[in-house]
Amino acid sequence: MEAPQYVAARVQAALAEDGRTHELGIRVDIRGDQLFLRGQVSGAEQRERLGLVAHEAAPDLRVHNEIMVVEFTEPGEDEHLD
Amino acid sequence: MTELRIAAVGDIHLGEDVRGQYRKHLEGIEERADVFMLTGDLTRHGTLEEGRLVAEELRGLPVPTIAVLGNHDYHSDLQYEIAAALRDAGVIVLHDDGVVIQCGEVKLGVVGGKGFGGGYAGKCASEFGEREIKNFVAHTRYIAESWKVALKEMTADLKVVLSHYSPIKETLEGEPHEIYPFLGSYLLAEAVDTAGADLILHGHAHKGSEKGMTPGGIRVRNVALPVLGRAYAVYCLGENGAC
Ligand SMILES: [Fe+2]
Ligand SMILES: [Fe+2]
Repeated sequence: MEAPQYVAARVQAALAEDGRTHELGIRVDIRGDQLFLRGQVSGAEQRERLGLVAHEAAPDLRVHNEIMVVEFTEPGEDEHLD
Repeated sequence: MTELRIAAVGDIHLGEDVRGQYRKHLEGIEERADVFMLTGDLTRHGTLEEGRLVAEELRGLPVPTIAVLGNHDYHSDLQYEIAAALRDAGVIVLHDDGVVIQCGEVKLGVVGGKGFGGGYAGKCASEFGEREIKNFVAHTRYIAESWKVALKEMTADLKVVLSHYSPIKETLEGEPHEIYPFLGSYLLAEAVDTAGADLILHGHAHKGSEKGMTPGGIRVRNVALPVLGRAYAVYCLGENGAC
């Protein structure tokens, strides 16, 4: 059986290199037959695409998509640099 | 000289599914800031469609807008075409060069470009060994040298450096140490410290932290959108007082 570290690395490379996602900062962890995705993205669609690409790269594992969609707020307080 | 208010953000990574959404947050920017700066990774895949979408999102803003591109904007080898689309929309795009603009009473000089990696003093790549490694380091050196020259040849009341990659480690805090050499290079900081500037803005490190300083004491801010958690930051430079 392939070592889980190599599978995780392959999934991570797929998330970065696949034209549908190109997401670099996603953490991939494998425990047994479970695959966990963690990180932050800017939209719900991107999160779903990442789950799909991860599933395709490791079809035998059960994907837990724990990626968060970050919402950003209106600009806040100014910083004075003097 | 009066105070200058700089709005800044990076890594907006726009795509079709979020068209029009970022623009909404720029509403009223002229009341908060005198100039708007973007530190690259404006697109996701660097396609021309995305580049044009970003250009539309930034078109006709009521304050001067200056941008550099990021590694994502280079992914499809269409960086020049993307820059052209942005320029067509009125955005000033820097590519290892500089520009001086008049902001009210302040003559503002901005120098910058994408920057590149290599790591930080003591733990970095050097121009030694295989051709591939030499090319990697030489690329960063060339960029740092260009910025140094552009800063030295510039007369301005205030000088700001725009980069995508980080010139220092402090603003990477939160990123895994193993990837630091891919997040920036101390050569960029060294060049700016040598030539002098008032502020360095960068992005790229989505999990990094906002505030840091070069060894020479120049303030550095990581304005990657996920780091800021807000549409843009505003930094006030120059004479102190209310802005
Ligand atoms: Fe980015
Ligand atoms: Fe980047």
